[in-house]
Amino acid sequence: MSISNQFNRRKFLQRAAGTTGSLALLSHMPVAWARPEGYTNSNDKISTLGDNFGDSIVNGDVIDLHIRKEVKAIAGGTSNPITINGSSPGPLVRLKEGQRVIINVTNHLPSSSSIHWHGIILPFNMDGVPGVAFPGIAPNSTFKYEFDVKQNGTYWYHSHSGLQEQSGHLGPIIIDPADGDIGADREHVILLSDWTFEDPHTVFRNLKVAEGYYNYQQRTIDDTIEDIKRQGLINTIKERSMWSKMRMSPRDILDVTGSTYTYLMNGRDASTNWTALYKPNESVRLRLINGSAMTYFDFRIPGLEMTVVAADGQPVKPIVVDEIRIAVAETYDVIIKPKSNSSYTLYAESMDRSGYVRGTLATELGKEANIPELRKMPERGMAAMGMGDMTSKDSMSNMSSLGGMNMGADSSMKGMQNNANTNMEMPHAGHNSGTQKSMAPEILPIDKISIKHDEDGHGVGATMIAKNPTSRLDEPGLGLEDVDHRVLFYSDLIGAMEWPDSRKPTQTVELHLTGNMERYMWSFDGVKFSEVDGPVHFKYGERIRLILVNDSMMDHPIHLHGMWMELENGNYPPPRKHTISLKPSEKVSLLISADAPGNWAFHCHLLYHMDAGMFRVVSVS
Amino acid sequence: MKNLIIAICSLGFLGSPANAQERPSNWPEPIKESYTGIILFDRFELARNNQEENIAVWDMVGWYGGDIYRVYVKSEGENKQDDGEPTNLERAEVLASKLIAPYWEIQGGVGTRGTVSSDSKMENYVVVSLYGLAPYQFEIDSSVALNEEGDVSFAVEAEYEIRVTQTSYFQPRLSLSASLSESERFNRPSGLNSLRLGLRYRYEFSREFAPYVGVYWNRMLGNSADKTRLEGNSASETGIVVGARFWF
Repeated sequence: MSISNQFNRRKFLQRAAGTTGSLALLSHMPVAWARPEGYTNSNDKISTLGDNFGDSIVNGDVIDLHIRKEVKAIAGGTSNPITINGSSPGPLVRLKEGQRVIINVTNHLPSSSSIHWHGIILPFNMDGVPGVAFPGIAPNSTFKYEFDVKQNGTYWYHSHSGLQEQSGHLGPIIIDPADGDIGADREHVILLSDWTFEDPHTVFRNLKVAEGYYNYQQRTIDDTIEDIKRQGLINTIKERSMWSKMRMSPRDILDVTGSTYTYLMNGRDASTNWTALYKPNESVRLRLINGSAMTYFDFRIPGLEMTVVAADGQPVKPIVVDEIRIAVAETYDVIIKPKSNSSYTLYAESMDRSGYVRGTLATELGKEANIPELRKMPERGMAAMGMGDMTSKDSMSNMSSLGGMNMGADSSMKGMQNNANTNMEMPHAGHNSGTQKSMAPEILPIDKISIKHDEDGHGVGATMIAKNPTSRLDEPGLGLEDVDHRVLFYSDLIGAMEWPDSRKPTQTVELHLTGNMERYMWSFDGVKFSEVDGPVHFKYGERIRLILVNDSMMDHPIHLHGMWMELENGNYPPPRKHTISLKPSEKVSLLISADAPGNWAFHCHLLYHMDAGMFRVVSVS
Repeated sequence: MKNLIIAICSLGFLGSPANAQERPSNWPEPIKESYTGIILFDRFELARNNQEENIAVWDMVGWYGGDIYRVYVKSEGENKQDDGEPTNLERAEVLASKLIAPYWEIQGGVGTRGTVSSDSKMENYVVVSLYGLAPYQFEIDSSVALNEEGDVSFAVEAEYEIRVTQTSYFQPRLSLSASLSESERFNRPSGLNSLRLGLRYRYEFSREFAPYVGVYWNRMLGNSADKTRLEGNSASETGIVVGARFWF
């Protein structure tokens, strides 16, 4: 399982020794997956400069993992995160496509625990969800996971027991393709997470008993005065009364914010400045993983463009962008090609702009580059409620996309499909400004599908229903509408290959994402998991079309275990994902091959939303 | 244990897909219903009125439960300092609550009010409340009470928050009480009884603890006002308050 060190690390050691001599002394420490020099194709084995975080890599056919609670230095303080093999985040699990792996997970916690392999296709009883896949791992016992590795790419693992994930019970998984090629000269894993010194149960209670507890960016009198100056008294009154009549805030962006969170990159806070090394003219693959409990991140490297080559571990046709919004639980692989000896900031900003974490990409240790300022707190427009309006910038784009849809372009759909078939790079065209749409108006399957709300408006668990949900795949997302560089859209993603199952769907399942922010109730179709009768049924062997409608005011990353979701974004082949983020009042259509018999978890990957009941079991039989 | 777990899992997996839907009874629920609660002192203050009297005031609410069903305790009262009179309990209620609309709870229970002294006659009643957040973000607690003698009374409290900064607020507050029938025993004429308007500025040291200063204006209405005047007292009162809103 562990790795011997050899290879040409001398070069790096020499360089490192020059800048920080003490690091060389640490080279006998456990192998680091977040080591500055990363991982390169040319060396089968892994080297290390070593560091005091104890990061390690585990691989081989039999892997042993130990879950503990330990006192550790973290986020600039000392706390007792849940560790795996002595570190939090845990070790990098590095597998190879085609291997059969045994992972023995021993729980040293006083309470039940588990590990879920996020995005990995495996038998359901190896999926690691207590109460769905298995009973959980009791204290002082070991569970033997065993499965064939049938895919490659960037994934991650985390606890699926209670709120343990918030305590740092997570880590990265990389599966090398059978030929071992990482597709670049060097790679670095960038695992983003959010850490709080509060007990996660306290966080959850605060959300339950005191709405808006962590939001210190609410609207104040000053904002209203600004609005009056900008758009006049009448419009301001109209807008404010619309929101307050709905009893909603346009600034509910993230429930848990930088007011309690310290954002971490590979387990380090911004001041620690985790550094990734490169050599000029190398191509470097960054494996971006959002392992946060609650935080959407916007990731960018000022001065460097990124070529997205995989989403959720699955290859996509290369797309050049400058910024990526990474929803909770998503992963993206990007290739960067830094030319000179410059240093660059790896910058991950929380979606609500309440905080950031950064690292540095440099040719030697001890460097740093300019750290961008946090951008202004974005505000939701009326588009979030599924109705366009004219007062807010955010919604203008929705208005136009609505218009485009209504003007219905059967003809433009044809044109679009042509584009998609003949010119796969099409989405890049004219995609150099956030305000400019990358794609011509088109009819997505979802646009033609009418959705249905429950007659009771989804009951007491839903404070709103989206009156006119639309596809918002071609929008960059809240706060990124006006940036002057390229942002990744879901509509940009094109699968790099045809997936094995291209049948038309034969069963349609529609689920609505619902919530009651005032009481912190989250659910599907207004019904919490504890109130649900039974599982959602996918007929074994069928091709399923899953329609999701976001009836809430928040973005939700929805995760299906065990099966890929092919996003019907108008491109062919479609991208396939394990986690799909829905904007407020958005509807999406996903194709799923129900080829994995058993029970699978299906839930919002915002940890406290899941724990509040936004969770279902999908039964494939 | 380990073998047992594996055996159970294997059984589940080897079984037919139909069996796979059933969760073995010894497995935990993947997501558990959560229960929580809070005790909130919305007002805990010292008031000084225009008759230069000092009055200690409290107004608290506590609840425990899940998302739909909760148990509430509400208590409100005041004690004039140095007047030799016992504490005036405006209400002490225990209620069962059900969420009936996304922002509204219907609550029913029992309560008591009156002067807290050994020889006092407390007024016991049953009460039904509508409790929640009205459009335009007004927090409302409105209730109808029926006492042992069949007298029906109404009370409504409304609060609104204007955010000045991220941690400070102006908060206007209104409370109004009325009686359907006259209650001689409890000294309450019929019609509108009283109106109290307040405005406070509170500053949060934390979400849990926020001291405030404020002013209020209290006026007897209708027959209550006449009665008060006949007794030689003023029907209206103004004052300033210093206090804290806190919860745990």
